[in-house]
Amino acid sequence: MIEVQNLSFGYKKRKLLYKNLNLKLEVGSIYGLLGKNGAGKSTLLKNFIGLLFPKGGSISVNGFEPKKRWPSFLETIYFIPEEVYVPALTVEGYKNLFSPFYPAFNPQQFYSYLEQLDVNDKGKLSTLSFGQQKKFIIAFALACNTKVLLLDEPTNGLDIPSKIKFRKLISGVFTEDKIIFISTHQIRDLDNLIDRVIIVDNGELLLNASIEQISSKLCFKSVSELPATDKVLYAEDSLKGYAIVMENGEHEDSKINLEHLFNAITENPAKAKSIFHH
Amino acid sequence: MQIFVFPGLMLTLVLILYVLIKALSGFDMAQRISFFVGLVGGSFFLASFVFGYFSSNASGSSFLSLPASHFEKWLCGVLIAGIFYPVVFLIFYYGIDTGFVALYHNNLDPASPFYKQAYESVYRFDLDGVVARNVYILFFIYTGAMLLGSLYFNKVSVIKTAVALCIICLVIFGTNWLFATMLFGNIEEASPFHGVALLAGNDVGSIELPADIAEICKYVFFYVMPATFWILSFTRLREKEF
Repeated sequence: MIEVQNLSFGYKKRKLLYKNLNLKLEVGSIYGLLGKNGAGKSTLLKNFIGLLFPKGGSISVNGFEPKKRWPSFLETIYFIPEEVYVPALTVEGYKNLFSPFYPAFNPQQFYSYLEQLDVNDKGKLSTLSFGQQKKFIIAFALACNTKVLLLDEPTNGLDIPSKIKFRKLISGVFTEDKIIFISTHQIRDLDNLIDRVIIVDNGELLLNASIEQISSKLCFKSVSELPATDKVLYAEDSLKGYAIVMENGEHEDSKINLEHLFNAITENPAKAKSIFHH
Repeated sequence: MQIFVFPGLMLTLVLILYVLIKALSGFDMAQRISFFVGLVGGSFFLASFVFGYFSSNASGSSFLSLPASHFEKWLCGVLIAGIFYPVVFLIFYYGIDTGFVALYHNNLDPASPFYKQAYESVYRFDLDGVVARNVYILFFIYTGAMLLGSLYFNKVSVIKTAVALCIICLVIFGTNWLFATMLFGNIEEASPFHGVALLAGNDVGSIELPADIAEICKYVFFYVMPATFWILSFTRLREKEF
């Protein structure tokens, strides 16, 4: 479990990015962290793994304090940054050098993931394209079988078939004893993958809800005319009239559109809070 | 990769320096300069590579999140720059110095009237002599400073550390000079932690630190300062955010 209590963090002392953030992430979920550019998504992930230290408050990841970076903590968590680093080693060399650091590493899974992601180059990893390097690191990270997996913009640099394979892989490796935390601004890449949505903006947690909670509280639909009610959180022009997000007073079933959800929440943070805190 | 390639390049440079300076200024100068450049310069640059992961976001994150303790990560850097390279260098230096000196001795004509004089003018560099010992102290200071600098400065750490060291030296020398001038007037030389040379007409007189204080200064300069740099680099790695 990841527990954040009254987290304050800022790169400059006088300008805090997060102020008194509280967040609880339970095991057994794939979380999607959504936010605008500069909202602090990567910063939050780096606080989780201990690359950045909170200025105030505390973070606990499976009982560990990340800022201490104990090896026993780091072997249970894997962080894939937006830009990955691979040394001038072959696939085999990389595996031999780094896999001993991760006790739950499974070589069979590793080769299987590489095959599924079409990474089959026998040369030095540093000569691969950015997308291939990223897929290699994703395969390695998944094979490490860590309890917590943090992915920062994992689909950046991946082609369309690779994005689909990535989604399949993540769904396939997920087990109830893991937390997978994906930060992205490419919202569509998370469709049908995540089961909880977290939205941050201006250093504030605007939403932390499951897909079921969102479906029960909000309704996503197309209408020919805008309803004259203050229950509409968001509306945008569409071919058939308007695509809207509104309070789900009638308990209608609808398919969540993450892009519309994000806009609805960030444009009406106060209203969204009141809906989800009821 | 740099960690393996660099020592090879450095040793080649030392060999070239030795040969060139020997041809231009003789053995003594060649031995001293190549020993200083090889040990102090080589370790200084190598120390900038061992924690050089912080030049990019990706490699810095990867290094810090690797499941190894801070001490293990620090020890790797220390072993490479502080043990591995100096040992390799000393063996190499001993080898080339012995070879060149032996070659020189073998090429002398034993029948020459100046044979004994010429023979005794060149000896192997004394790795336990005063010059070597001073170079060892400088090695500990500069390598420690570079290890620390590479953890403070993420980009072009070698240049930034060198500049920082120059500024620190200038400030220390300048402050010392300023105080000595204010106190004594005509200053010929004012070495920090050592003494002041005064001009009196055409003569130069010196005021040195009392023996016990000079001993303390020497102790601080030779042992405390290098140890502080090396230990601080560990502390800095532990507190490094990226």
